[in-house]
Amino acid sequence: MQDVAKRSDDVSAVPEPVRPVTVNDDAVRAALAQHLSRISGSRTEITSFGRKSSGFSWITYAFVARSSEGDRKLILRVGPPNGLFAPYSVLPQVYALQSLAGSGVPVPALVSSERDGAEIGFPFFICTHVEGDVPAPWTASELDPDHKRAIARQFVEILASLHRIDAGTTPFASPQQGGQRAEVRAIAGWRASLARPTARYYPLLDWGGRWLEDNCPQPPCRTIVHGDYRIGNFIERSGWIVAILDWELTHLGDPHEDLAWAMMPTFNARSRKLYGVLERTEVIDLYQRTSGIAVSDKSLAFYEAYALYQAAAIQMCAVRAFEVDRFNDMRLAVMASQMPSIVRAFERALEAAA
Amino acid sequence: MSTSFERLIDGIIDALQIHVVPNSNDDFVRGQVYSAIYALNGLKLAADWKAGPLLEQVRLQDDTFAAVERLADGMAHPEIPAMPRVPSDMSDAAAIEALRDDGDRRLGRLLLWASGADARAVNRDLATGIEQLLRRATCDQLKIELATTPKSMLQQIAGGERDGGTAPG
Repeated sequence: MQDVAKRSDDVSAVPEPVRPVTVNDDAVRAALAQHLSRISGSRTEITSFGRKSSGFSWITYAFVARSSEGDRKLILRVGPPNGLFAPYSVLPQVYALQSLAGSGVPVPALVSSERDGAEIGFPFFICTHVEGDVPAPWTASELDPDHKRAIARQFVEILASLHRIDAGTTPFASPQQGGQRAEVRAIAGWRASLARPTARYYPLLDWGGRWLEDNCPQPPCRTIVHGDYRIGNFIERSGWIVAILDWELTHLGDPHEDLAWAMMPTFNARSRKLYGVLERTEVIDLYQRTSGIAVSDKSLAFYEAYALYQAAAIQMCAVRAFEVDRFNDMRLAVMASQMPSIVRAFERALEAAA
Repeated sequence: MSTSFERLIDGIIDALQIHVVPNSNDDFVRGQVYSAIYALNGLKLAADWKAGPLLEQVRLQDDTFAAVERLADGMAHPEIPAMPRVPSDMSDAAAIEALRDDGDRRLGRLLLWASGADARAVNRDLATGIEQLLRRATCDQLKIELATTPKSMLQQIAGGERDGGTAPG
């Protein structure tokens, strides 16, 4: 059953919190106990608290909330001040978890969220823990191909379900800015990110970003776009996908964007097949049949180029975090070495899309 | 010394000191790490990027500027620098890297110009030809970088796995 989500981000009367520079796990744990005690109205103790992954962006903690009502396994996600996409907003994830509860798209249930981080010091949200495994694209080869096929087909069907949702009835439809098309606004956002001062300037990215903005196709319909829909961003259990994760880049846009991103060889152990098993034509046929949205070759080619542009922009965020913001994580530093191959692939993809 | 080279060395040292040393309970392993930190501090004082690939990139950029200048004869275009930009006796990698980065920005301005409406209005075919030339040249420049890029270790880096296998535990 879904928990009732409690929004506690209306802090208009609360003074601006003093933000710590780095995320201290002990301080987060203490503040989390206070927060849960306050919103539940009963003393809550935090046990089995620990970082669940070492991602590049949001920090994920798993914990058990112990109160007079019993134990609940929950997940806390915190947007650190020096993460890859800082400064963070909880809104895309909160909107997604709220809008999709009870839909054909499985998501963890939202428990609480705070956009200004008054209590913990950083924007955060809490959701239910979903049991299961998160498959990594590169370990896919170790799995049974029939199992992978079943998961890949579900993965496409869930994407179709997401794109069938009437986005106009969700909070994603409300924040329109300046009348610019949503999908063009997303491209402009990455262009602005790439235009920030960094160690390297790539002529092809500057030129290609302008091309993408000038040539962005009209979408067949405007849907909720996950923004990072790929193998590795879901939980599976006993042959079923039980939760789609990581909604931080979710926005309104062209459904081709998710389809192109999901089929990037990078997320499929360098294979052109989805999860290494589902042929491209099979993916498109299944998606069209289940979503009712006709896939355009031209739009798909455009979004394949855009996927590489976005990948390059994300790598540059990493390089910037290391070189300019001096975030000491060597994984960010080595991402810079991927830039030449991504930029070359982007140029080839643009040629195909033009 | 190049800023990015120095930052890379500092980052490696910090990662070892902050993440590896506190999580190592083995005296021998800590000794290895401190030795590596010492060696890195030595590299910081004595080493820098290899100048060869940077020089190759700057020369390729110069060839591209010359070709654009020749093709765009008579068209108003963004400024092309005087060449050669690297004196024959220059070996300071940081200075060559700065020239390469400046060259990239200039090539970017030329590419945006050649693919823009103004250049096309003057001579569409010529502008398209220059755009193609610039795209090819910047891709060739990336090939030089690729030649000095080690094989990807994405799965080990992202997942902390050994030899591409599943992480223990």
